[in-house]
Amino acid sequence: MDYVFQFGVVWRDLPALLLGAWLTVRLSALAMALGLLVGVASALAAASRWRAVRALARVYVEAIRNTPFLVQVLFVYLGLPSIGVRLRPDQAALLAMVINLGAYATEILRAGMKAVPRGQLEAGTALGLSRWQLFRHVVWMPALRAIFPALGSQFILIMLASSVVSVISAEELTAVADTLVARHFRSFEVYLVVTAMYLIMCLAFQAAFGAIHRALFARWRMV
Amino acid sequence: MRAHRRWAVSFLALSLLLALAAPPLAAQTVDEIIKRGKVIVGVNTTTPIFGLAGPDGQPEGYDPDVARLAAKYLGVQVEFVPVTGANRLPFLLTNRVDMVIALFGITPERAQQIWFSIPYATEAAVLVAPASRAVKTVDDLGGLRVGVPRGAMQDLILTPQAAAKKINLMRFDDEATALQALVSGQIDVVGTGLLVNRTLNRNDPGKNYEVKIVLRPLHFGIGIRRGQTELLQWLNTFIYTIKNNGELDAISRKWRQLPLEPLPVF
Repeated sequence: MDYVFQFGVVWRDLPALLLGAWLTVRLSALAMALGLLVGVASALAAASRWRAVRALARVYVEAIRNTPFLVQVLFVYLGLPSIGVRLRPDQAALLAMVINLGAYATEILRAGMKAVPRGQLEAGTALGLSRWQLFRHVVWMPALRAIFPALGSQFILIMLASSVVSVISAEELTAVADTLVARHFRSFEVYLVVTAMYLIMCLAFQAAFGAIHRALFARWRMV
Repeated sequence: MRAHRRWAVSFLALSLLLALAAPPLAAQTVDEIIKRGKVIVGVNTTTPIFGLAGPDGQPEGYDPDVARLAAKYLGVQVEFVPVTGANRLPFLLTNRVDMVIALFGITPERAQQIWFSIPYATEAAVLVAPASRAVKTVDDLGGLRVGVPRGAMQDLILTPQAAAKKINLMRFDDEATALQALVSGQIDVVGTGLLVNRTLNRNDPGKNYEVKIVLRPLHFGIGIRRGQTELLQWLNTFIYTIKNNGELDAISRKWRQLPLEPLPVF
């Protein structure tokens, strides 16, 4: 080992790294919120009574889950301009993340909804609940509670996957790190610090999920 | 007790994994390369003229040809490892390659980390845009989206002035993506090499891409780890030889359609 560690350069560039981390957090949080909406819509479509709607949801989920995220990002940023859709790098990154997360969330939500026993639905109907009440109290909340951990990991995964959007010049944390490494070549030091930053962001998101879980299901007794 | 044992097993498994995952140790001397029977060269396959993946997937271009020539003179096989502008230095420092022949511009900052051979190629860091774009100097770039390969010379030259001149500098992971962004209309100007507009005009006719600004002339050296005196001496001798026996001129004419210009030595 004749490598001399120099962390000084990393501390000097910490503001740039923090700015990159901030974009990562913003992109991820937005992608989680919008991706969940897309997932709910698509999971409902997948359970639709119309065959064509079900097929559409199926095609979306399979197309996204069986192609690499990197290719999806490149397609949105470099491919879509051919049909006149020109997005900024951060917008393109967000769109790709939402589409990607939406597909995975669909499958998770679908599993949760399927896990609701038929008897529970019948009980709800017998109580005279409206369609909306039935969905909200009998299907959605129990389903959400059952799949909360799985959804949480998928959310974390999309945040980690956001590191590849540096390829289309979105200046998130990994892009900033790559730029710094290219400038002063302190790859070990920079990537070590960046790894720690990702870890902290993951733990923070998980803490947030935990708080949301407690707030939503505090009054639920264990069944 | 059981918990302890589980920890010990995990630790052992992890150590084994790390040992297996350790990168292949690159050769440190000329003798080691010859003994191994192959030289491992990092080349960039995203840079038209200097290095692209050929139809058979093998790298082709100015740099791969120089690498093949070096292997020929060493009497060994050549193994190519694709690198990008941003990761070629870490690949060298982490012993993944013996040398990097990937349009590596010679700068004093880089020379703090690695050693360069004498120049084997000449180029220029330039800015290219469609003919219709009115750009004459760097001062005209204000408000424009200028794409550069991350860490490349164009990036290093423009970064210090970008904020003051309101240049929207966008860094892409490699040159191919930056060029594709220009073709897709996602950027207005691209930082690239002197001859790349030819490739652009061939693949995207009608826009008439031209070199708008020459930022700086460049010379490329072969990059090796510091302290490899023996390998450096061999490479300099090799470059001296192919410069003077016409072989480098042939490579230049083949890929750049230009005769080899005089190259400085140091």
